[in-house]
Amino acid sequence: MAEEPESGLQLPPSTVADGDGPTEVSPGTVTPEPPSSAAVSPGTEEPAGDSKKKIDILLKAVGDTPIMKTKKWAVERTRTIQGLIDFIKKFLKLVASEQLFIYVNQSFAPSPDQEVGTLYECFGSDGKLVLHYCKSQAWG
Amino acid sequence: MTDDKDVLRDVWFGRIPTCFTLYQDEITEREAEPYYLLLPRVSYLTLVTDKVKKHFQKVMRQEDISEMWFEYEGTPLKWHYPIGLLFDLLASSSALPWNITVHFKSFPEKDLLHCPSKDAVEAHFMSCVKEADALKHKSQVINEMQKKDHKQLWMGLQNDRFDQFWAINRKLMEYPAEENGFRYIPFKIYQTTTERPFIQKLFRPLTADGQLHTLGDLLKEVCPSAIAPEGDMISNVKTFLFATKMLILHSKQHFLDGEKKNQVMIHGIEPMLETPLQWLSEHLSYPDNFLHISVVPQPTD
Repeated sequence: MAEEPESGLQLPPSTVADGDGPTEVSPGTVTPEPPSSAAVSPGTEEPAGDSKKKIDILLKAVGDTPIMKTKKWAVERTRTIQGLIDFIKKFLKLVASEQLFIYVNQSFAPSPDQEVGTLYECFGSDGKLVLHYCKSQAWG
Repeated sequence: MTDDKDVLRDVWFGRIPTCFTLYQDEITEREAEPYYLLLPRVSYLTLVTDKVKKHFQKVMRQEDISEMWFEYEGTPLKWHYPIGLLFDLLASSSALPWNITVHFKSFPEKDLLHCPSKDAVEAHFMSCVKEADALKHKSQVINEMQKKDHKQLWMGLQNDRFDQFWAINRKLMEYPAEENGFRYIPFKIYQTTTERPFIQKLFRPLTADGQLHTLGDLLKEVCPSAIAPEGDMISNVKTFLFATKMLILHSKQHFLDGEKKNQVMIHGIEPMLETPLQWLSEHLSYPDNFLHISVVPQPTD
């Protein structure tokens, strides 16, 4: 996946180690990003008094879905659930045809066009939004 | 004296007369006549337009048909938004019928979600219901229900069965005796004049000292541009009109001087800003248990 510096996902360096089993991403060259302190991308200005543009997301795997080595991400508020799904699928090296479901509060699957910032406002706690992801429909 | 329950029926049975016309660039074997349909305000486009698809597919070749999608004056219509919301937001100031253009080609991937089957509509609907209950009851009520109750909500909507739907939905409208309302009110506020898809925030139905928050309180807090500045409003001494009288537009009565910039609309009506939010949530929510509120510019008559 090409690096998108202004995407807000704080992607690790694009060289993710290849050749490992499908259920584990090698920690090799993957650099976990420090959470909220890295919320401001270089070169962007945070307007005075504005709430920070990025929010912290904690990703948790459900069932036998592969676990992401980096679980905590700083994500731009306007990133959609679909954008997050695409990123996780690429990070976990799932094929495009495999489905991935994301759940809030372990109870509902938000619409793919839902912005994570709104979900954080309504369902975040302790300064982060916890999202569960699963290859099958965990909570209907 | 009409009952609050009549409001529930009026909301459920609201209809929009619609004219579906095939997009001119679609390839047809013969002339495609427009198709007229009364659309339920509380339902979803892909749930109620099978007849539209059948009608136009009769004059088209199989190879020219892929997923049907709809557009109004150049704006693709999101099937996952309730029909009444789409109309209020985009077409409420235009003359009826609502003129929708039907497409079978060039699906706008950036604007619309795909709808592969009715199951997708069900999944989306149930997810919205669950999200609303997460806000109202920390998901306790929806989680206590059995799978068959969830199914009944969906079947009630799909089959336009008011009693079947409300037999279950009434439980989602209850709250503990010691409280005076839900934990938070499920709402989304839509405007065409901004970039954001909608506004949704945590908002309680009651103030710290137990007063009922009103629609005006909500707008002032989360969407102040929606309402005219203070001093232009009379608060109606007769206060809250809880019966179907409320369904009559009272917009002109709200104001002494000055122009109201915007209409704040739910189900095609403008509720008085003094209306308690808790009451609106219980009576004017869509079947997904959300208040979908449109803020549109005042039409110039």
